[in-house]
Amino acid sequence: MSDLHGVIGAFSDKDDLLEALRTARAEGWTSLDAFTPHPVPEAADLLGARPGRVAWIAMGAGAFGALLAYATQWWLSVHDYPINVGGRPLHAWPAFLPATTIVAILWAAVASLLGMLVANGLPRLSHPVLAAPGFLRASEDRFFLMIAADDPRFDAGQARHLLQRSGALRVSDLPAQ
Amino acid sequence: MRPNPVAAIPLLRRFGWSFAAALGLAALGVLTLGYAVMALLLVGVGLWGTNIPFVWGFDLINYVWWIGIANAASLFASILVLRRHGLRTAVNRFAEAAALAAILAAVLYPILHLGRPWLFHWVLPYPAVYQVWPQFRSTLVWDLWGIMSHVVVTSLFWYIGLIPDLATMRDRAQARGRMVAARLYGIFALGWRGSVAHWARHQAAYRLVAALVLPMLVSAQTIVALEFATTLVPDWHQARVPLHVVLTGIPSGLGVVLALAVLLRRTLDLDRFIDDADVALLARLMAAASLACLWLYADQLLAAVLEEAETREGTFARVFGPYAALWWGALVLTSVVPQLLWLPWFRNTAPAAILIGLGAAAGVWLDRFSLVAGGLLRDHLPRIGPAYGPTTPEWTLLVGTVGLFALAMLLFARLLPVVSMFEVRHEESEAEAP
Repeated sequence: MSDLHGVIGAFSDKDDLLEALRTARAEGWTSLDAFTPHPVPEAADLLGARPGRVAWIAMGAGAFGALLAYATQWWLSVHDYPINVGGRPLHAWPAFLPATTIVAILWAAVASLLGMLVANGLPRLSHPVLAAPGFLRASEDRFFLMIAADDPRFDAGQARHLLQRSGALRVSDLPAQ
Repeated sequence: MRPNPVAAIPLLRRFGWSFAAALGLAALGVLTLGYAVMALLLVGVGLWGTNIPFVWGFDLINYVWWIGIANAASLFASILVLRRHGLRTAVNRFAEAAALAAILAAVLYPILHLGRPWLFHWVLPYPAVYQVWPQFRSTLVWDLWGIMSHVVVTSLFWYIGLIPDLATMRDRAQARGRMVAARLYGIFALGWRGSVAHWARHQAAYRLVAALVLPMLVSAQTIVALEFATTLVPDWHQARVPLHVVLTGIPSGLGVVLALAVLLRRTLDLDRFIDDADVALLARLMAAASLACLWLYADQLLAAVLEEAETREGTFARVFGPYAALWWGALVLTSVVPQLLWLPWFRNTAPAAILIGLGAAAGVWLDRFSLVAGGLLRDHLPRIGPAYGPTTPEWTLLVGTVGLFALAMLLFARLLPVVSMFEVRHEESEAEAP
């Protein structure tokens, strides 16, 4: 059992995959993953993915970037290195705002990419699912549903049976790496 | 398997002699750039025609121009993503690539015009040996952050959208036994495997960055314009300058995107992905943006009439003085000629659409020239000395950055999928649904 990562089935279209996913959910399987050539929001909902986290990461990073940019300008101009230019205020907040805004955007954008990658566990050099027969077409026109071996009720035979019943074109075992 | 022509293009062994010729020409342009930069570093900015009061010559003209192209192309792409518009599948990828190439060309200028470009890092707030910090009340510091954010955010927007397509390229290359190509695409695909949870977060990140691009563009271009508006030069010292610079930039970027769309669908046989309706929509959008430009030019004259005498004289000197041809040329090329795109014949005829698109970009260049040089004709002090005219080293630098832009776009078309493949698949799957 431990030498198996899971069982995977290939489907020819999105609706077959969604049907299989709903059946698996209804039967109580919990450790599932689906691989598709384009975003399938319904499947993401069924698998309980919460993309909102990326937005929170980005907003937090943006706020931090803004604070950092403003505080740097304020501290350096007012305290560390004050220069009197014709009596103009040292704490020239309007002049500090352009850099503050744009640095906030910079942090938020970088955090969007990094947050997405961290939440997705990428970059990753290899993954057991990439060894599935015909998986190259997951980036073209095939839809895959995987039932992972760490599911508490995992049984390879039942998993294979479920996928076959749901109309999978091909069902294969994924060796663990 | 349904053939995917977009993925097949970068994997072609040969691209034809015309591509090789174009690549050679662009490479020659980049060599020219290298020559211009070396001459500048060895001799100095004395090579340029700039002098008091014309301290900003070609460097600022071309910088603002390239930024305008980058902005409009990015703005267009991000709005398409946010609105989930059908046109995004056709044009987004290369609009983003054009924005990135234009910003790379733009970035060179502010660094090169510093006089001692190798000390450009002095504008960064880092603890230096002399314990001197940058002057944060200076617009130069805004410029640094503005440009840096522009480069980073534009690259991220392009790259995030590219990750799943790089995975497709990796898999297609592997299926064809092209292992080296598969390995290279694979490295940049970061191990993407198309998990639906990954897709959901990817879409969130992509749309998030698209949303961040909007304020970034407006602030970056506004910062450029504020560098003019915060001076005391009468023609520049106006609240309308940011609006003028941001909005007149749009026809230049849309013009370049339109020209690229027409060129790519012709040369790479992408009619299925970039169809007539896409080009028609893009052309009409450009005509509408030009109409907005026309309104802005009218506003410029009206504002001049209503403003105080110094401003009025400054603007009128620009519009009717020795640089008048630039202002009127800009008006015609950005605002009048693109109106032809409302007529189907002009947008359906490839050479006409390309010429009008690139013409608008040239027109905006004239507008920037008129602003930078013509705006200085009337100052608070009488002007002594000759008017500004670019010298050969300045022209060489411009030709060089055009070569850089062309080379970047050619390599992009050669090595990467020019149309967003996953968006096409997504759209097709939604079209199949009842």
